[in-house]
Amino acid sequence: MATSSAYPPPPPFYRLYKDYEQDPSSAPEPPPPIDGEYMIYGLQHTTDEVLPSLEKGGIRQLYPEGPNIDFKKELRTLNRELQLHILELADILVERPSQYAHRVEDIRIIFKNLHHLLNSLRPHQARATLIHMLESQIQRRKQAIEDIKQ
Amino acid sequence: MDIITQLQEQLNEMSVVAFNTFGTLQRDAPPDRLSSSYPDPLNPNPNPKTEEDAKTQQPPAPPQPPTLDLAEQPKAMSHALVLAAKKFDALVAALPLSSEEDQLKRIQELQAENEIVGLELQKQLEAAELELKQVEALFNEATDNCINLKKPD
Repeated sequence: MATSSAYPPPPPFYRLYKDYEQDPSSAPEPPPPIDGEYMIYGLQHTTDEVLPSLEKGGIRQLYPEGPNIDFKKELRTLNRELQLHILELADILVERPSQYAHRVEDIRIIFKNLHHLLNSLRPHQARATLIHMLESQIQRRKQAIEDIKQ
Repeated sequence: MDIITQLQEQLNEMSVVAFNTFGTLQRDAPPDRLSSSYPDPLNPNPNPKTEEDAKTQQPPAPPQPPTLDLAEQPKAMSHALVLAAKKFDALVAALPLSSEEDQLKRIQELQAENEIVGLELQKQLEAAELELKQVEALFNEATDNCINLKKPD
């Protein structure tokens, strides 16, 4: 049986709630939810959940920027580019094997672009889910009205 | 599984097929002849001088199956890659996409309709509860009368 040190004691805040049953206002309120940036385990986090743009990851953006991106067209274009680059890699490996790194890097950039496009479709999916939920709720309420009337 | 996850999975599958293709080809590639002064690694003894040499060559002959795979594997793998790419295109075509403003407008319409339907449901509920109370009161009266009538027994 190895001796081990005991766990540290729990935080002493329980003493503040001694008279909670008699007087709920004597004890402190719970801390408010954090807004903005906060530090955890030495790393910085932010509550503003937003998809970081490709420049933040240092990747070249291959599809045209703009408020309205035609996702289907861009996805298809990038898919063609991907197939082309895979074919080019196969050719390069046959003819000039030492120059593979450039092609592999290109393929990597294409994959990152594709994944970024798909991730930017997620908010759209969230709104579509919301629309669907609202529609089903309206449907249920109408059904309930019909049932009551009968 | 929702369509965006399927698209992402399809993308990963394409990358897996691609690097499996290249990895397998590199691993299974036979050695290449560097120059005519070196012996050909694919055919180590090209000129058997006597029959004896020809006989001794039989046992160390390489087994047949790996050379067949060398021609069919790339075909099968490239077929898989093209299939995966086509599946990706099909999934992209199946995306139900609409602009953001359309979605926001629809959400607002649905919210307004939800409010109206909710109010009506509330009214119906109250009317039904009122009716239920009335029915209950009448039922109580009826049962009281029944009990009073049966008293002389």
